[in-house]
Parts: sequence; structure tokens; C-alpha cells
Amino acid sequence: MTNMQRIKKVLAAILMILCSCIVIRYPEEGFYLVAVIFCVSLLLYGIRTLLYYLTMARHMVGGKSILYFGIIVFDLGIFILTTVNDPKFFIVIYLFVFYGFSGIMAVLQAFETKRFDSPSWKWILIEGIANTAVAILAVIAGLFLRSSVDISYLYAACLFYSAFIQLSTAFRKTAIIFIQ
Amino acid sequence: MQKDFHYYATYCASLLAGYSHEESLSICYSAQFVDCCTRTLLSSLKAPLSAATTQLQLELANARTDPVGLQDITRIWASFHFLPGDLYAPVKKASRHYQNKYRLICNPNGTLLSDTVELAKGSSLQAAGIAMHVLADTWAHRYFAGTPSLVINNTNFYFYELFPEENTFREQPVVFSHSPGTPDDVEKSHYNGSIFQSSENSIMNLGHGRAGHLPDYSFIRYKYLPAWGDYEAVVKDNPSDYYHAFCQMVYALKYLRGLVPTFEAYRYDFDSVAPWEAQIRTILGKRQSDACADWKALGETISGQEIGDFDLVRYQQEYRESPERDKNNTFLGRFFLAALAQKSMVTNKIFRSGNLLAGFSVDYAEKGFRGIRDFIRLVEAQKGEQHDD
Repeated sequence: MTNMQRIKKVLAAILMILCSCIVIRYPEEGFYLVAVIFCVSLLLYGIRTLLYYLTMARHMVGGKSILYFGIIVFDLGIFILTTVNDPKFFIVIYLFVFYGFSGIMAVLQAFETKRFDSPSWKWILIEGIANTAVAILAVIAGLFLRSSVDISYLYAACLFYSAFIQLSTAFRKTAIIFIQ
Repeated sequence: MQKDFHYYATYCASLLAGYSHEESLSICYSAQFVDCCTRTLLSSLKAPLSAATTQLQLELANARTDPVGLQDITRIWASFHFLPGDLYAPVKKASRHYQNKYRLICNPNGTLLSDTVELAKGSSLQAAGIAMHVLADTWAHRYFAGTPSLVINNTNFYFYELFPEENTFREQPVVFSHSPGTPDDVEKSHYNGSIFQSSENSIMNLGHGRAGHLPDYSFIRYKYLPAWGDYEAVVKDNPSDYYHAFCQMVYALKYLRGLVPTFEAYRYDFDSVAPWEAQIRTILGKRQSDACADWKALGETISGQEIGDFDLVRYQQEYRESPERDKNNTFLGRFFLAALAQKSMVTNKIFRSGNLLAGFSVDYAEKGFRGIRDFIRLVEAQKGEQHDD
């Protein structure tokens, strides 16, 4: 991981902590603001990916996958934007999709890392299990918690957890393969 | 390419071009040193950091991938390991950014190769060694670019090793693993490659990382779909390419010695190599990850002298202990000057083609000295040479 990537992770963690503080202080309005920021970020990322496809990846063998990825991200941004008026639904969907996907990917990565005898596999596995647990918790909370405010608090706690993960990743030792 | 070709084969080529045993050792040492001259080494020697001709894995891991960081990476890898084949290659209906990356694809016999060899003419043996490294790598690293780029350097599942069988080739799929530190098992066709990264400028997408060490093995033949190739498979015949590289080195070295009046692309000294062709083709075709022993034996047969192993620290003490004013006259000092000259020339050519991926280049004759201070050493050395003339 480069120094710039580490700085980005630290900045992302600080932003998450700020967002979670806003959500705790102003559960209704604060959440709405955070949701809009999140949707706009997704939309911008989708647009950036589509532009990358149009200017670069369309010439690449297998470049269509970049196009599909851009469309999916952009579409997801629009979809979530339509749900920000229903905080409970949005939070449950967001927590389930985001943490569930991250969790499964981390668990798979942990098994691959273990195959290569890397000592970091345990840490990745713990992260994966924790993420998956958050996704399951979000669904359970969505079924039983009736108050949007309570769900906002759950969302704030998850943001704190994500900030912690970002910070720990930023300071983790990393190795890359490069063939000369 | 690896030490077997850059050190031992370059020694053989120098001998066949007429250089003495000692001169050949200096040339092949310099050719191999290109793969060792990192910023980490240069800082330990208190030498100009801009003379770096390669980067360690750790240096790459910490390299910035913003425009300035990418320019630094490109200057090193395009100048010494992936010399662009055609800086003005036509690209149909593509963005400027894609066109700039496409034009950095390495290929042999380009104009920049002639510029590289001509730059070494009349210069030191170290400059000749650097030129031979660059020339040889144009054959091994062709079709990849010396800049991080997913859209140029990526490979996919369509990757087959070709095994000669009577009048045809048997195809066997190549599956790359991503196991750090595990050596390739060439007997079982188990190879390592860099991990797929969807980020355009990821370090994983620099050069032939995605194709692993395959371009560096002289024995291998393979076919694959290069990311830039519009779904047309490319067949890489390393035994043939390496033989051409060797014969071109002999021709280029004869030019540097003054035995040939001009250096022209697509010319190879097959005649001088002919007496050794059978042995060379046998070495090139032998299925092994390291051909040092075979090339060393051939070199010792040709010269009748013992070839010492490559020793990274051989000339370091001389450089360290030399007074500041004499450093340029040491073995490594001359290497650093030649490396600065090569990097300066290639960056200038890329910049003049309208491509900013290697950074800006200021013409000293027109605007005086501006830019990276390390290059003052090169300017002063060239002024000194002109004064001596």
C-alpha cells in the first residue's frame, strides 16, 4: 500500500467518524445528509468508471466488464437515492448489501491467503466474519426495530466500526508481488 | 531477461564483436547492473538518485501513482526495460490518454533503439553495457509498456504455452498463481504472475507483471491476447527472439567499436555468430529458469578465460572512496552518467512526441538548466568533454 493510499484510508475513517457523530446528534436530518453524500459518491464513481470505459477500457480485451461495473454502480447510486426518504429501508438495504458483500469477499480472501501460508489470513477472516455479522444484524434489526432513530444509531455504530477497520488497514503492513 | 543473458550472453556478444576479455567484462557488468541500480543502492552510495535504472519491489510498493509519481516510474521502466517501439504509432479513434499509453508499447527495431545505440557511440564501456541491456530487453519485453496500465499490459485466461511437436505445436493452458516468493516450476509449467487489479495505474499493471516471468525465459513459446490487441492473439517465440537479440547485440557492439560505419535497425550480425549458432540455439532452447552456467561455459570457451560471477559490490568501494571531483571517472560514476544520459534522451523523445507520461523535458541548449538537479552532473560532464575536445 502506498503512502497516498494510507492517507486516503485515514481521511475516509475521519469522514466516517464525522458522519456517525452527525447521525447520533441529529438522527433524522443527519442521516438524510449522510445518505445523500453516499448516493452522490456512488453516482460519481459510476460516472468515472463509465468515462474510463469510453476513453480507455473500450479498446481493451475484456473491457466490457468495466462498462458493466460502471452501469451497476451508477444504477445502484440512483436506486439508493430513491430510497433516502425511507431511512429504515435504506439503512437495512445498505448495511446488508455493503457489509454482506465485504464480509463474504474477506472470508474468501482469507482462505486464499491461508493457502499461501501468509500469517495475515486470521486477521482477514476475523474482519470477514465481523462484516458478515453486521449484515445479518442489520436484517434482524430491520425486522424487529420499529424506530428509524434506533436504526440510525445502529448505522452510526457500523460507521464507527468501518472507520476502525479503515484505520487498522491504513497502518497494516502490506506486501505486493511484482515480476521484473 | 535475466542475469544469464544480460551478463553472460552480453559477454559472449562483446567478444564476438571484437572487444577484449576485460572490456567485455566491463560491458556485461554494466548491462547486468541496470537491473540492480535502485534508489536504495544509490542513496547508500550518496550517488544521484535520478540515475536509478530500476526499482525494488518495496520502492514500487511505496511509489506514488499520481501523475508525477507515474512519470518517475515511466522514465525508469520505459528508458531501460521497455523501450517504446514507435512513439508515433497510429491509433484509430482513441482518446489522447489511451494513445499516449499505446505508444509506449515496447518493440524491437524502433527509432529509439537507434538513438540509444548512437548515444553510446564514443562514450564509455558502461554506456555500451546499458545500451545492450536496453536492446536485449526490447526483444524479451515486446508487447508490454513500461508504464502502469491495465488497458495495455493486462492479460486474461487466453494464455497458452506452445510445445513443439514434429511439424506443429501442442498448446497447453497457462494458469498463473499469485504466490509471493514461490519460484516458477518450469518443468510443470507452474508460473507466478501479478494479481489482477482493476485500477488503470496500479503497480500490478506495470510491464509484463501480469504475464509473470515468461518473457524472461529464453526457452519458452506462448500465445496470448494482449489487452491492446483487439482480440488478435500474439505468438511469442522467445528462442527466435533471443537469437535475434544476440545477433543484433554483436552488430551494435561492432558499430560502437567503429567496425561498422552506421547502426541500422533490422540488421543482425548472423555471420559472426554462425560458428557458435548450434551451441547458442541449444542454450536458448533448453528448458531451465536460469541458463547462467551454460552461457558462462560458452563464454569461457570463446575467450579461453575465466568469467567471474557478477558481484554487486565490486566497484562500490572505489566510488565511495573517490574524491568528489573524481567520482565521474570511477566505474560506477561512468555508469551513472550513462544512465542519466539515456534517461534524459528517452524522456526528451517521449516529450517531443507530445506524450507527457514520462514527464517534461527542457532542452538545455535552448533554455539553460531547469528541472531535476541530479542532471547538472550530466551537463557538467558533457561540458568537460567538450572542453577537453
